[in-house]
Amino acid sequence: METIQQLTHAYEQAPWRRQMYMIGVILLILVSAAIVAGIYLNVTARAATVGRQIQEMQVRVYGYHYLTNDAGEAMVPIEELEQRIANLTSQLAIFSSYQVMQERVNDLNLQPIDADHIQYIEVPGYIDRQTTILAPPPEPMVVTASTIDPQFKESLFVWVADQVQKTARYFSEVRP
Amino acid sequence: MRRYMADQVVSAGRLRRKPPASEYPETTHSANEKAGQTLTGWRFNLLGILFFLAGVMIIIQLVRLQFSPERTEFVSQGDLYSRTLHIFYPPRGDIYDRWGRLLAGSTLVYEVGAQVDNVENADTISFALSKVLSSHPEYDYPEYSDQIYSVIHRAEISGTAYVQLADFVTPEELTQLQDWANNYAKLPNVDYGEAGRPSLNGLVYRPRLQRYYPEDTLGANILGFVNREGTGMFGVEAEFNDLLAGAPQSVWMSLNPYEVSEIPQLKSGADLILTIDREIQAAAEDVLNKALDDSGADGGVILVMDPNTGEMLAIASTPRLNPNIYWDYANVFTGNTPFNRAVSQDYEPGSVFKVLTMAAALDDGAVKPDTEFVDSGSIEIGGLTIHNWDWGAWGPQNMQGCMAHSLNVCLTWVATQLGAGQFYKYMQNFGFGRITGVDLAGEAPGRLKLPGDTDWYEAELGTNSFGQGIAVTPIQMVMAISSVANGKGEMMMPHVMRSMVRDGFQYTPTPQVIGHPISADTARTLTELLANSLEGESSDALVDGYRLAGKTGTAEIATPTGYSSTETNASFVGWGPVDNPRFLVFVWLERPTSSIWGSIVAAPVFHDMVERLVVLMDIPPDGALQGLANH
Repeated sequence: METIQQLTHAYEQAPWRRQMYMIGVILLILVSAAIVAGIYLNVTARAATVGRQIQEMQVRVYGYHYLTNDAGEAMVPIEELEQRIANLTSQLAIFSSYQVMQERVNDLNLQPIDADHIQYIEVPGYIDRQTTILAPPPEPMVVTASTIDPQFKESLFVWVADQVQKTARYFSEVRP
Repeated sequence: MRRYMADQVVSAGRLRRKPPASEYPETTHSANEKAGQTLTGWRFNLLGILFFLAGVMIIIQLVRLQFSPERTEFVSQGDLYSRTLHIFYPPRGDIYDRWGRLLAGSTLVYEVGAQVDNVENADTISFALSKVLSSHPEYDYPEYSDQIYSVIHRAEISGTAYVQLADFVTPEELTQLQDWANNYAKLPNVDYGEAGRPSLNGLVYRPRLQRYYPEDTLGANILGFVNREGTGMFGVEAEFNDLLAGAPQSVWMSLNPYEVSEIPQLKSGADLILTIDREIQAAAEDVLNKALDDSGADGGVILVMDPNTGEMLAIASTPRLNPNIYWDYANVFTGNTPFNRAVSQDYEPGSVFKVLTMAAALDDGAVKPDTEFVDSGSIEIGGLTIHNWDWGAWGPQNMQGCMAHSLNVCLTWVATQLGAGQFYKYMQNFGFGRITGVDLAGEAPGRLKLPGDTDWYEAELGTNSFGQGIAVTPIQMVMAISSVANGKGEMMMPHVMRSMVRDGFQYTPTPQVIGHPISADTARTLTELLANSLEGESSDALVDGYRLAGKTGTAEIATPTGYSSTETNASFVGWGPVDNPRFLVFVWLERPTSSIWGSIVAAPVFHDMVERLVVLMDIPPDGALQGLANH
């Protein structure tokens, strides 16, 4: 009994040690919580910043722009680029339109040729002008069904299992 | 060292043991410390209790709010301000000609409006907008400035957040507005009196795409246009509106940056590649304009078709609207003038219809090319006496002579030889009395009266045989005659859409054969017969170096008091080269004044068109082809 008491006394800590221990534990918890909170705040702040940037870009797509604010060219949404491309395509079409081409023809004093003045020669392998192709044709449907009998491809184990199943099915069907 | 160790290494029990009074004298300090600890203890406990109670109160309040009657309202208000509904419209698909030249695209325009809370000076805004948009077709009226001011003023009173002030503003006009805004922003901060500091603050804009037609009026009757609401009107724009426009998507966009939702990837509208050749279309419109000037006709049509496939290479019709200023529609199309006469206006075709009567009779075996008919100058059918165009008698004629001289009496006789049942069966097989299905909006079905109809009389067989008393559209005529022109007896579906580009793939439908109203032998026989007729008559339609087949037509126009002999529809239909048909050209001039005859006003138009067509289509003369073959 005395030995137990001695042991208990031996492992009992002094009050100041216990306080230090408690303070340490609380500080550890606080520091840990602070670290977690810091990481959380950092991540959420960055997420919010990126979210706002995305929203600002989205506003450029569907929202309104102020007259005095120059739109930043560094980050242009795809939709706005597509609008610009469509606009430029139309501008290009204007420059090559029939009317503009005719004006250029007149400026250069060119005359349309008559059929009488055209000389036709035979060019072996000549391929007639093809109509425009803006995209590839749809891919043909590939039939992957094999023409080889499964018995020539299956393993012995699969074949035996199949035979067992067939036999079992046969007996189950003939049973009255 | 050993001593030090002995001093330090002692049992824990001895440390806890109370030391004797002689070694550690009792002091009053430890008592005070104990009292202080007790005092600190109850204070801490009190503070802890207060914090605990505060926490409990907060939790109670949170729970109370969750179950309070106002909760639903709070939630709905939160939802209202936490997200906004946006409708995204995909870019409208482009339209190209057969060689990839853009016929209909898109251009940037801007909607300009005011965010009312941010407006500093409504006077400046109304002044700047009215000045910058002074040349804009929709805002070039003097009251526009006052209207803007009153709109902003009303919005301020009613608390409206945003008002639209202008739309379809061009990039150039927007740049001017931006320059004005920047200049105002640089003004010094001084007292500007009652007028206030000039400012365009609060003025905002939003870009979007608008339909644009770089060729202006070229091919306008085929293309149609897109109205303010973005809906295709007439022509290809209306016929393929759903394909071109794509599917708009509505999306609730969250204002919470943590809940940013992606703008949906919109599927753009499909691009269309037409069968139309821009150069041939321009040539057709040019020739038609000249023909109207020369003949004094009210209107006209020129159709160019590839009879082998049914592809329409050109459809020229008058009048033409510039689709970029479609709001001029009412000024251009007055009265009942259709947008595209080629598909929407039926008329009595006259003698060009004899091609089909003869085709039916030859195919049925009712007549043969050398069948002889003695033309006495008149024939009676159903109580109606029919005469030739010149009221003359042409004596013995074979079928080539009947066609070459365009004898009404002969063709009436041919129709009687065929019989009403067979005649109308063939005409139905040729597609008359119903729409062709051409992929252009607003097609008219025409009218083919049939035996058994209350308004059909026996005399109709005679008049119908030479193209009177029947209403057809030009597109029906080219479809029917394609069966003769291609030499195969196959009637091809006329169409203007060659390919469609969607989801990154180009789909090209195969040409459709509508039917086989006649045999290939009949088609070739009739083509030969008509080619010989043209050559025999030295027609103005002939083009040096090319063997062509064709037929003129002159139809009297029905008026409330009967058929007019001074107002006619002059037509010509022809195709070639006879040995390898590449084109079918149909010309119709309405009410020409220089001459009423198709052979005089319409045949030269066909000639002019073919002269340009053979160059544009790289068709060598027959002699050159034979020379190359012999070589």
